[in-house]
Amino acid sequence: MRTIVVVGLAVLNAAIALLLSPLLEGLMRKLKATIHSRIGPPVTQPYLDLLKLLGKEDLRTGRGFLYAAAPALTLGSVLVLATLVPMGAAPPLSFAGDIIVVLYVAAMSAVLVMLTGFGSASPYASVGSSREMMTLLTVEPVMAVALVVGAVKAGTLSTAGILAWQVEHGPSISMVIAGVAFLLALQAQAGKLPFDIPEADQEIMGGSLIEQSGPRLALFRWAMWAKQLVLAFLLVELFVPWPRVGILPFDLMLALVKVSLVLVVVALVDVVNPRLRIDQAMGYYLRVAFSSLAALAFAVIGM
Amino acid sequence: MLTLALVLMVVIPAVGGVLAGAFKGASSRGAAVTAAAATAALAAWATATVYGGAHAAAVGDMPWLGGPAATPVVGVLLDPLGSILLLVVTVIGLLTVVYSTRYLGMDNRDHRVPPTEHPRYYFWLLLFLASMVGVAISPNFLQLFFFWELTTVCSWALISYYRNEKSLAAGFKALVVTQVGGVFFLVALLILFARTGSFEFGALALLPDRLRLVVFVLLLLAAWAKAAQVPFHTWLPEAMEAPTPISAYLHAAAMVKAGVFLMARSVSSGWAMPVEVGMVMGAMAVLTLFIALTYYFVQDDLKRLLAYSTIAHLGYVLLGISLGALGSTVGFRGGVLHIICHGFAKATLFLCVGAIAYVTGSRSISALGGLAKTMPLTAAAFFVGVLAATGVPPFSCFWSKFMILSGAVQLGGAIGPVLLVLVLLESLIAFSWMVYVGQKVFFGERTPVACVNSDPPPAMSGVLVALMIGCLLAPAVGIPLVQWIGR
Amino acid sequence: MTSALLLQTCVLLLLGGALVSLACARNRALAGWVSVAFVAAACVPLARVVVNVFAGVAEGETVLLALPALPARLTVHVDALSAFFLVLTGVIALLSTLFSVRYMEHFEKDTVAKFYPVLLVFFASMVALLVVTDMLFFLVFWELMTLSSFFLVIFERERKDSQRAGLKYFVITHAATLCMIAGTLVLWRQAGSFSFAALQDSLGVLLAERAVVAHLVLFLFFVGFATKAGVLPMGDWLPDAHPAAPSGVSAALSGVLVKLGIYGLIRVFCSFLPVSAASDTWGVVLALAGTVSLFVGTLTALRQTDSKRLMAFHTIGQIGYICLGLGVGVACLRTSPTIAALALLGALFHAANHACFKACLFLGAGAVLHRTGERDMDRLGGLAASMPVTASSTTVAALSISGVPPFNGFTSKWLIVAACILGGLQHPLFLVLGLVGMFISLVTLASFLKVLGAVFMGARDESRSVKEVPLSMALPQVVLAALCVLLGVFPRLPLGVLRDAVASAVRIEVPGADALLGTGFGLGLTAGGLALAFWAPLVVVLALALGGALAYAIQRAGAAKVREVPVWTCGELDSAAAVRYPASSFYLPFKHAFAGIYPALHARVPQFPAALRRAFNVDTWLYRPVVRAVDGLARGVSRSHVGVPQVYLLWIAVGAVVVVAVMLALTR
Repeated sequence: MRTIVVVGLAVLNAAIALLLSPLLEGLMRKLKATIHSRIGPPVTQPYLDLLKLLGKEDLRTGRGFLYAAAPALTLGSVLVLATLVPMGAAPPLSFAGDIIVVLYVAAMSAVLVMLTGFGSASPYASVGSSREMMTLLTVEPVMAVALVVGAVKAGTLSTAGILAWQVEHGPSISMVIAGVAFLLALQAQAGKLPFDIPEADQEIMGGSLIEQSGPRLALFRWAMWAKQLVLAFLLVELFVPWPRVGILPFDLMLALVKVSLVLVVVALVDVVNPRLRIDQAMGYYLRVAFSSLAALAFAVIGM
Repeated sequence: MLTLALVLMVVIPAVGGVLAGAFKGASSRGAAVTAAAATAALAAWATATVYGGAHAAAVGDMPWLGGPAATPVVGVLLDPLGSILLLVVTVIGLLTVVYSTRYLGMDNRDHRVPPTEHPRYYFWLLLFLASMVGVAISPNFLQLFFFWELTTVCSWALISYYRNEKSLAAGFKALVVTQVGGVFFLVALLILFARTGSFEFGALALLPDRLRLVVFVLLLLAAWAKAAQVPFHTWLPEAMEAPTPISAYLHAAAMVKAGVFLMARSVSSGWAMPVEVGMVMGAMAVLTLFIALTYYFVQDDLKRLLAYSTIAHLGYVLLGISLGALGSTVGFRGGVLHIICHGFAKATLFLCVGAIAYVTGSRSISALGGLAKTMPLTAAAFFVGVLAATGVPPFSCFWSKFMILSGAVQLGGAIGPVLLVLVLLESLIAFSWMVYVGQKVFFGERTPVACVNSDPPPAMSGVLVALMIGCLLAPAVGIPLVQWIGR
Repeated sequence: MTSALLLQTCVLLLLGGALVSLACARNRALAGWVSVAFVAAACVPLARVVVNVFAGVAEGETVLLALPALPARLTVHVDALSAFFLVLTGVIALLSTLFSVRYMEHFEKDTVAKFYPVLLVFFASMVALLVVTDMLFFLVFWELMTLSSFFLVIFERERKDSQRAGLKYFVITHAATLCMIAGTLVLWRQAGSFSFAALQDSLGVLLAERAVVAHLVLFLFFVGFATKAGVLPMGDWLPDAHPAAPSGVSAALSGVLVKLGIYGLIRVFCSFLPVSAASDTWGVVLALAGTVSLFVGTLTALRQTDSKRLMAFHTIGQIGYICLGLGVGVACLRTSPTIAALALLGALFHAANHACFKACLFLGAGAVLHRTGERDMDRLGGLAASMPVTASSTTVAALSISGVPPFNGFTSKWLIVAACILGGLQHPLFLVLGLVGMFISLVTLASFLKVLGAVFMGARDESRSVKEVPLSMALPQVVLAALCVLLGVFPRLPLGVLRDAVASAVRIEVPGADALLGTGFGLGLTAGGLALAFWAPLVVVLALALGGALAYAIQRAGAAKVREVPVWTCGELDSAAAVRYPASSFYLPFKHAFAGIYPALHARVPQFPAALRRAFNVDTWLYRPVVRAVDGLARGVSRSHVGVPQVYLLWIAVGAVVVVAVMLALTR
């Protein structure tokens, strides 16, 4: 019985990540267009993009198993991440991975994208991968600090445990700071301005994915959209899980609304900012990371 | 039987020396090798026989010198302490003689020695062997003094062997300095005899306190002069003018050990050394270590470098003995063990340098380089020697140094930690420099001087192999022997 | 057969192998295969011993040799901790020897007589030092290991950098050994024996009576072992020495030798040190030292372009992780044994994992070096096509060391980081250290993506024809890569064994394997009914496989045609070398940010003050003046003897007058 629930929830999480992520991306595009005073594409445009790309010719510049399997593994790893993250309920695979696992699995998709970039033998892709790595180096610690704050508060590393603690105890100073830090990190994780340095279409023409086309490009895009959705879920569920009624559909809907709000904020930041240089971005996140250590300090003294 | 063997050990090399001096060419060499081999075999047998105990016997009598102690003046004594020195002098003596059979000759690019000069060499070398055996098996100070002076004379003759100006000056200097030591020894001896009427080692303990202090200081001065300790250390580096086997044997393994042996004898017979003298001996030993160390970095001649290293190592022995005087048996055992361990290690190093000089004609650290390619065996032996001398386990000096350090720590108080730190510091610096020199000479690009050669002829290579094994096995022989030394 | 006998067989086989390979050194291949055969044969009794230990066959200490003069005794005893390190030694020894056989063809001009015998002595000394329980003999074998590895490091003697590396290695580690000798002797004075048990007791007594001395002793041991382990700043020898050795040896050095430093640290800080306030303090010291070396080591590794030097710096970094885990473990021993056990498990498991992936990486770098003659990653590229086996093994190992799930490196890092965070609930410092650990794991990833990107991927150099390495060199890499995957996906079995090792090392009761690792199919730590940490690699792998399959199905849904195309470089046609993104260009801004983290110090030959040396030269200021004065006096006297009788008569007359005058003066 329990197994069925777990599997069911896991499938549900994966399905949400897979199916809703283009929609939210579409919403963000629409919002940006509105701010730009454009009409913009329809909200369903990302779905159409994906469909179109899946039918296109698959051009490859690299060889080998890893290069061939990278798009599928990237999307796969994001789906795994989705099952480790709470969406309206406790994370279904919580017993298989705690927050450390979440952090490392979240990095997996980036690793695969970078490897693909290096593997495609294009200097632009290599530059893109190199930048992607630097972004990861500066953003991931911020996320790590934020999640560890939760672990310190709850006294456990388990995602489900932190969620339960948070629901029970209500907001606290440290979790608020940590949540803000996580939100700032999300901007770069989602690859939005001012942190879209690894792609930087105007400079390095898409970076790591320059040589990707057709279905491969579709999967990479899809994985990135799904990842921003999943990480937004992680943000709202761990740091602002209230109110919690305990009925899955209701909680899920509420979470979705919160996720949409978060992504709206991300889109707004994206649209009003120019791109930073990589060293500026690194300095920025360094400051964020050190500020978030304050959250850790608060957590240690129990606030 | 044992007494006879012990006496024969003095007689055989002496007679062998005379024969070698009288003969010419191959028969001279043959006589020398045979006598040395016979002595070594007898020494091994005698050591094995008395293992765990001591053997003392009278050989003759000099009634007018016999005192109240009523023990004969001429006799033999073989105990664990003597066994150690006996093994060192006979085994390394044999190896040196074998090595010399090829080293002396017209093929030597460092010093060509015409065959007519050989008999003289073997005569002095074997006479020296005989007198060192005499030192090792002397039962009293008088006999010890007699053989001690004999070694000085042999040393003078052998340092000046090449008879050029430098070697004559060096020989003379060595003679004078060690002779000064001999005078101190003689005075100590006379005081001892005048006061106790005996030359026995044990008689030292019978002296009244003040006089004992004087006698021990005089003996210490004698030992310092003989063992080239500060402030008498200056003769040893200059004695490097001698042929290299002589440097290896006399000025590293054997003759300089007579000095420390005298101290070991004096201390271990009755353990009556005044604490003050023990302190001074230890302090000067440590000072010697560091003064010798400072000279390492400016030497270009390999042999002079090794000479300073020898000075330092004799300091180690004296340090161990002083620890014994201050009350640590382990330290004393370590010091005595160092005699045999250092003997093998330093002989290996010197004979390697001899091999290098033999084939290249150079001993200069800066001129040599990349020798390992052409002289692999010599390179191996040199590194074994370096590791053994600087105390890297499992080679010889590690064990003795470790025991000396144990003794220092055992003493406790402030002395223990200070000695521990100083000795380890010296070990580390010496080790670093010696390995550096080894790398410089044997590894790297080959220099022009080092280009044309190969390992030395079999007689010399064989000796190097034997010494390498000796570096590894010396503690295996030495540790069981020294465990019998104690109160 | 008893363990002692089996171990003697093993060591004698290795030493015999050394002699035999020395004897047949003229035939390079024969010497190599003989060595492999002897190492393999020696592994059989070794395996037997290990199996006995983990099967719980209890055996006492066996005395092989006694030295009453000191007194010391060569005693042999294998516990689970030793057995674990014996496994590492055996596996890496066999694989690196196998790899070396063909690799040594690389050095045509050098005889193998200076390689295989030394290599086998090196292995023998490691086996011996792991099983003795007497500190004196431990030190003897320890230094035998150092000196044999020194000769392996300077294998390419003609090279100046090899010589420098060797000298630096030998001197630094010898200094460390001297520290250990000093520490041992202080304990020995108290104990009167060199046996581990006696030293352990005497440390306890010393800690109670003279705490300062006890802490000094611990510091000496810490310096001694941490130097060998490569913990910064003492581990500075490592980045020079490991690359200088032939690659098979580099693998053994990084795989096993540095781990023996960890073995020593565990023995001293878990077994010798009583669980007390002192162990809390030293735990923090160890953890801090580990964090410093993982931080500095890994960030410095990021800046390297020499592949072997890069890996050597990563060894420092990964040893830092082990040391961090060890420190957290030691610090928590008193307050929370469960977290302590978790941290120690993590440290030991990371040691095993590091042996696998670092050996594999060094062998991979060696394979590349063997085929291309190149260690500079700026000049390599696109080798994955021509060396697929090496490329895939290196990729697996690189992902393992970077801590990408589900490979083994992740599991052990997970244990260490989880222990840090959970231990941080009591000691907040560990929280920061754990976060640093997580950050550095990303830096490791960056560094190895650079290796993969620059060496195996990127633009192919068609002008260079490169082939895959022969089977005997590929096999060890594949085995190690497979171990990386297996240990990562099925961590319960090795961790169960390691739990015994931890239990035999520490002086407290260790919770059972179930309490530590959970009972499910993954690893789960629960304490007091609260679920604390989870990692179930099988579930995640399964989920990844399903997700990947689904994604692949989507990818192929449109049945798109696949076509290989050349890289688009804006229409310009340039050579591969010209468009390649070289290793030194990776992460430039990031590298600049951390440029000053590893300052270089240059040691010079000590310049001894000349005045002091003149003072020591007794000849010039004492003896020669005395001799000259005596000489002058004698000359003066002889000058009066002129040989003229009248003058003599005058002297007599004058003398008589003087005598009479004096007499008169006195008698009056």
